[in-house]
Amino acid sequence: MAKYRKTRGESLLLRYIVLGGWALVCLLPILWFLSIGFRPRTEVITPVPIYWPTWSLDAWHLLMSDWPIAQYLRNSVIAVAGSVIIDLILAIPAAYALSRYEFKGREDIGFYILSTRMMAPAIVAVPIFFLFKTMGLLDSVWALMLIYAAINLSLVTWIIRSYMLDIPKELEDAARTDGAGDLRILWEIIIPACLPGIITAAVIAAIFAINEFLFTLLIASTANAYTMSVALANFTGGSDGIIYNAIALVSFIAFVPILILVILIQKHLSRGLTMGAVKG
Amino acid sequence: MASIQLQNIVKRYGGFVGVQDISLDIADEEFLVLLGPSGCGKTTTMRMIAGLEEPTAGEIVIGGEVVNDIDARDRDVAMVFQGYALYPNMSIYENIRFPLRMRGIPASEHDGRIRKAADMVELGAFLDRKPAALSGGQRQRAALARAVVRQPQVFLMDEPLSNLDAKLRQSMRVQIKHMQRQLKVTTVYVTHDQIEAMTLADRIVIMNKGAIQQVGTPDEIYSDPANTFVAGFIGSPPMNLIDGVARDGRFTADGISVPCPPQVFGKVTLGVRPEDCHVGGEHVQGLVYGVEPTGDVTYLTVLAGGKKLEVKAARDYRSDIDVPIGISLDPAHLYFFDETGKRIRGAR
Amino acid sequence: MLRRVFMSVAEKPCRSDQMTTKAPLVSAAGVAKATPNRRNTGPRRRSPALRKAFPYLLLAPAMAYLLVITLYPGLFAIYQSLFVVKFLTWEWTGLGNYSAILQDREFWAALGNTAIIGGISLTLQTAIALTIAYFAYRDPFIRGWRIVYLMPMLFMPSAVAFIWKLAFNDGRVISNLLMSVGLVDGNVDWLGNVWLARMTLIVADVWQWTPFLFIIFVAALQGQDQEIEEAARLDGASWPSIFWNISLPMMRPVIVVAVTLRGIDITTMFTNVFVMTQGTPGGATETMSYFIYRQGFRMFNFGYASAASVLMLILTIIIAQTVVKRAFHSGKK
Repeated sequence: MAKYRKTRGESLLLRYIVLGGWALVCLLPILWFLSIGFRPRTEVITPVPIYWPTWSLDAWHLLMSDWPIAQYLRNSVIAVAGSVIIDLILAIPAAYALSRYEFKGREDIGFYILSTRMMAPAIVAVPIFFLFKTMGLLDSVWALMLIYAAINLSLVTWIIRSYMLDIPKELEDAARTDGAGDLRILWEIIIPACLPGIITAAVIAAIFAINEFLFTLLIASTANAYTMSVALANFTGGSDGIIYNAIALVSFIAFVPILILVILIQKHLSRGLTMGAVKG
Repeated sequence: MASIQLQNIVKRYGGFVGVQDISLDIADEEFLVLLGPSGCGKTTTMRMIAGLEEPTAGEIVIGGEVVNDIDARDRDVAMVFQGYALYPNMSIYENIRFPLRMRGIPASEHDGRIRKAADMVELGAFLDRKPAALSGGQRQRAALARAVVRQPQVFLMDEPLSNLDAKLRQSMRVQIKHMQRQLKVTTVYVTHDQIEAMTLADRIVIMNKGAIQQVGTPDEIYSDPANTFVAGFIGSPPMNLIDGVARDGRFTADGISVPCPPQVFGKVTLGVRPEDCHVGGEHVQGLVYGVEPTGDVTYLTVLAGGKKLEVKAARDYRSDIDVPIGISLDPAHLYFFDETGKRIRGAR
Repeated sequence: MLRRVFMSVAEKPCRSDQMTTKAPLVSAAGVAKATPNRRNTGPRRRSPALRKAFPYLLLAPAMAYLLVITLYPGLFAIYQSLFVVKFLTWEWTGLGNYSAILQDREFWAALGNTAIIGGISLTLQTAIALTIAYFAYRDPFIRGWRIVYLMPMLFMPSAVAFIWKLAFNDGRVISNLLMSVGLVDGNVDWLGNVWLARMTLIVADVWQWTPFLFIIFVAALQGQDQEIEEAARLDGASWPSIFWNISLPMMRPVIVVAVTLRGIDITTMFTNVFVMTQGTPGGATETMSYFIYRQGFRMFNFGYASAASVLMLILTIIIAQTVVKRAFHSGKK
């Protein structure tokens, strides 16, 4: 909850110079890039940069005709949605175990799961490449789905665990004396009670999956598996060079849903990004 | 209907002993109250009856059956929690229905039972609401309804009234007692509030530091305390406890001199309730420390020999502080405790 | 389910000490004691073995998945690193790759680059994020500021890389702006100079990821006890000194967690390098991740790349065990 604190005795001018300044730093490149997306190719790279272009839907036509943009979108959606579903199925029981049970090795297992978040993609890039090669899954959306799920699993587990820890133990005791077993408690009581956490975890995992670049680059080689993220790197027209206006347009196509999702969970953003360590 | 027996129950947490060797016989339909300060083991004991905790040693018998190995969900007990523990995502109707679903009671019976349970606690109009939309008192009643709807063998209540304000507490007390009499279910009730204990219980079990201090009816606990702990715990304001020496039929302490029975000798503690102290007389000589009129009675605090004595005086008694005063103690209601705190019986 | 329904209708077991002659309670409570609740077959005795194993069973699927993703590749990488791999041929070389790597100037350069670029970027981000968090958390427009500042982070990293690639290199926008202010005379070749090239990467990273820290810092500041600030105000402290002496120290565990998380991600910097510089000039902007990528997928020295991966893994484990463990334990509390 944003708290408005009194500001007597402080330079409001300084504050707004700083805040406004950084706001400009954030917004101007975005607005400028937006204009790139809506100008003809000839006006993108010019001897002297043009700031106010002649508006055109050149990029849009280009995308529609020359590139399987719908395919890229479809790949992104399938891989991302699928990976999030996989993660939720695996993570919710795991988070339940970590948060509500006492057992030997709990700390160690929890830390191990946490540590996989720290793993740089480059470390496992080569082995993963060979793994999917032998499985014949190169250049497939399924491979991407599995990879995204693996990358985000620890994040999803820890976020949900954090929210589950907040559920009072009394609730479980009551359900138990009422006659419910562990799995039923999980399904009917725990999951509804930590729904905001589940949604937050799903959204953040989705965003990281959409953003993923390295693995997607290695795995995808044709439109079979290209996602939005990597497709950008493909908009080179050979002798034409990089087709920036198309890139800009696609960037914004991906930007809008992410913006909406983030606004949805903005109250939980800090808690989600730090996996429960910092509550908003 | 069920009687409950606890046989040599012990609960240890690592090195810490939460409950030490408790044995208890609870009769069918009895309203038993576990009373004591926080940390005394009363909640732990009740949770062991519920099956939410396992005793380290000893046996728990419900309805003639040893239930140690039986999971909480299969023991026929219903529990009302201090925080009510209503399922936040379900309506009150669904909350009350939950135990019926869990126990496999045929769906056709659900509605009738739920409505009757809700009517019993006067929540019939609120069945559609979610717990968040209810007041504290209403939530408490919803929790009661959820416990009642199953018609269990045993009711367990863990300080259910402690989150309510004083007025609500009083009306709920009456309602709980009434309900228990109606339903005739064995009830174990945990509280640290001695007024609740005195008004609700058929028998009270006073606990401290994991051990039972005394078991008895409210009358017995009040007028026949087994040790200084029980004596000092029950009664509001609590019994005055004064250390002193008894010799040749006389108990003396600083500022106090009072006859005592011949069996009492050596270092003893004198116990006398405020209502058995009367203004005027020679047993206690001291100064007025404080006067608190409350409308129906006035509480007088007397400083004698460095210790404070509480006296229940007439409602129109008034005095300035630091005025010398004498207090007489009713010889028929004097209690004596030995050095270990144990009551010297036969001394009345 | 069927069995439960069936059983609940059956009689309670008949025991002489429990036989009751009381009439079923109907009138008084209106809740008839007609249907007993206990199952006829007797209640379940819990199996202690199953009870103990249950949490492990819950964790098993997730653990299995993670182990496949970490253990298998880890072992594979270690194995492969002992060979020189040229396309399909694997030639045993034992620790040959490792000794070659440790003498490889490019390897150490990549390591150094990662540290330098990452370090500068992280420091800048943290400073900026703290500054704007300080100014913003008490502002009435905080909601608006938050959304605006979030935006750079919501673009795909590859998109951000292209934004700055265009601004710096291809579109010459930055040069143009600098020229109009008079700071430079002509077009700046951002890829021609070691530090200029690094700067472009730093700018891109700071622009995109400062919001990450900002969000966390603001959340922490807003969560701090307002009364402490008010007490300090009454004692005559100015806002900057309140921040410096009170809010900031109270925020320390949060800063540690946030900076640790971001720091770990920075060491994996790849996308910006791939899109913007490809390591030029002369490998001055090549990070560890790009080094591994280049060795493996440009030069196809898979064994070599695996050896580098293993070394990077060891480094990660060391950092995880020391820095991260402490960060998250203090953050959790």
